[in-house]
Amino acid sequence: MMGRTIFIDPGRCIGCQACVSACRECDSHRGKSMIHLDYTDPGMSVASLPTVCMHCEDPVAPCAEVCPADAILVTADGVVQQADTSRCIGCANCVNACPFGVPKIDLQAKLQMKCNLCYDRTAYGLAPMCATVCPTGALFYGTLEELQAERPGVQVADSFAFGDVMVSTGVAMVVPADKVQWPVPGGLPVVEINGVDVR
Amino acid sequence: MPEPSETLAAEPPTPPPPSVPPRPAEPPLTGTLPPAGPSVTARATLAGTLVSVLLIAAIVLGSRLLRDFDSALLPYAVATVFLAFGVAYRYTVWVSAPGARRLFKKGFGSFFSAANFRKAPTAVPRMIATYLGFQKFLGARSRSRWAAHQLIFWGCLLAAAITFPLTWGWFTFTSSTGSGPGYEMRIWGFKVLGFNALNVVGWLMFHGLDIAAVLVIPGASYFLWRRMKDRGAITGQRFAYDLLPLICLIVISVTGLLLTFSSIFLHGGGYEFLALMHMVSVVFTLIYIPFGKFFHIVQRPAAVGMQLFKYTARQDEEVFACKRCGEPVDTTPYVENLRGTMQDLKLDFNAFVEYCPRCKRVLRGNAYLAHVKKGFK
Repeated sequence: MMGRTIFIDPGRCIGCQACVSACRECDSHRGKSMIHLDYTDPGMSVASLPTVCMHCEDPVAPCAEVCPADAILVTADGVVQQADTSRCIGCANCVNACPFGVPKIDLQAKLQMKCNLCYDRTAYGLAPMCATVCPTGALFYGTLEELQAERPGVQVADSFAFGDVMVSTGVAMVVPADKVQWPVPGGLPVVEINGVDVR
Repeated sequence: MPEPSETLAAEPPTPPPPSVPPRPAEPPLTGTLPPAGPSVTARATLAGTLVSVLLIAAIVLGSRLLRDFDSALLPYAVATVFLAFGVAYRYTVWVSAPGARRLFKKGFGSFFSAANFRKAPTAVPRMIATYLGFQKFLGARSRSRWAAHQLIFWGCLLAAAITFPLTWGWFTFTSSTGSGPGYEMRIWGFKVLGFNALNVVGWLMFHGLDIAAVLVIPGASYFLWRRMKDRGAITGQRFAYDLLPLICLIVISVTGLLLTFSSIFLHGGGYEFLALMHMVSVVFTLIYIPFGKFFHIVQRPAAVGMQLFKYTARQDEEVFACKRCGEPVDTTPYVENLRGTMQDLKLDFNAFVEYCPRCKRVLRGNAYLAHVKKGFK
């Protein structure tokens, strides 16, 4: 986990979409929102899940590894940057390889775009746009110590399980204290739909 | 009617085994791919040497055993040999990485496929024209960037088409009268064109590089201005990668134009100094091409192969649908290719390519709800 990073707490998300609007204002992808806000069970639940780039550390940036054009750079501070505009060929390898479903692609422009942790802001010590506007603190930017000072007793996890595979990330999720020693389930593989085993 | 209660459950997470060593707090994150192994380096060196030797042979033969070779242009010719080595070396290293290697095979496979040609005979020329020539995709990003890039592209193409054969001794311009105005243009010693240096054709022939410079300067200047003003472009920009290529193009173009200015208006004043400046900037740029932003010139044609690979699969209606929502993910051969790339890279979650990005996020959200924190439902 990076020193200063985003901590996601889906339990606090009210689905207001303020993060989605604010993300559009980010100078590095002005006019286009890179954050995803998904309603996990629409019609049945108001639960929503904000997803920013998790900035995978181990394996390091699968999106960059599968890129055939070496277009995705991981900077020394662990931030996985969006595709270099002169190199990206719009193949969508990164879009489909990402286990978190983060990168977006503009097929007309042949260009991948993704959350880069608002590098124009975070490189200067400012919080990303989404964390700046989130009214409930579902997206918190800072160090773990700063988070715990503000929310005593809170625990976070930066490991995700996709079947047998573990992915460690630079961005972390808030988890209950009794779950902190476990990786957060990545949701895949799907084992059951409506009580039917689909494995 | 509400959506049926879709209980999408993931396998319950298990605690990591105690034998798993703790992850280092600061993993080395300096690159995207492991460094090339010794076999890749050896192959790349071999490819670079081979291409360089072939180019030297082509220069010697094309200049009629150096009879047409202009020794004043020797530094330029030597730089092109280094360029050939660097491009072949870097290209070999590049296509040795799993993602690029598979794309390379699929792209060239699609390009040379007779079946594809029968199915879509116009696809290749159309893609080359729209993608490599007129770069329509850049217009979708920004019209002004497209216009500026077109100026640079056609200017550089014109300059390369003139200067490379000239420095190799492949083109010669000779006058039977010694001082003109009647000139002959010869390629590999064969006369292809006779023209009067004082008419329009002659002017265009002798000022081709000035025209190229006039095209490149506004295009490169626009990009340089943008890199100083546009906060999106400034984000994460690096001097050597983003600014230096533009400065190189402008220096080459301006010193080139100044050579013409010197010969017309200064009676050759300062010509030698300018010629040296121009040569140094060109030689530096040529040697820099394989290692910086200019390498996209070499990489970009891979995009045509990739587009063709997907296009031909779509023609056959080989579309892979998301296993959960049924929305198309991409073409079936593409999904198989990506899974193969991920297997090569030991990314063992390659089976999840079969789900669309949104379903991956929703499934993860539901797993979080079910197994981590039920409270927010």
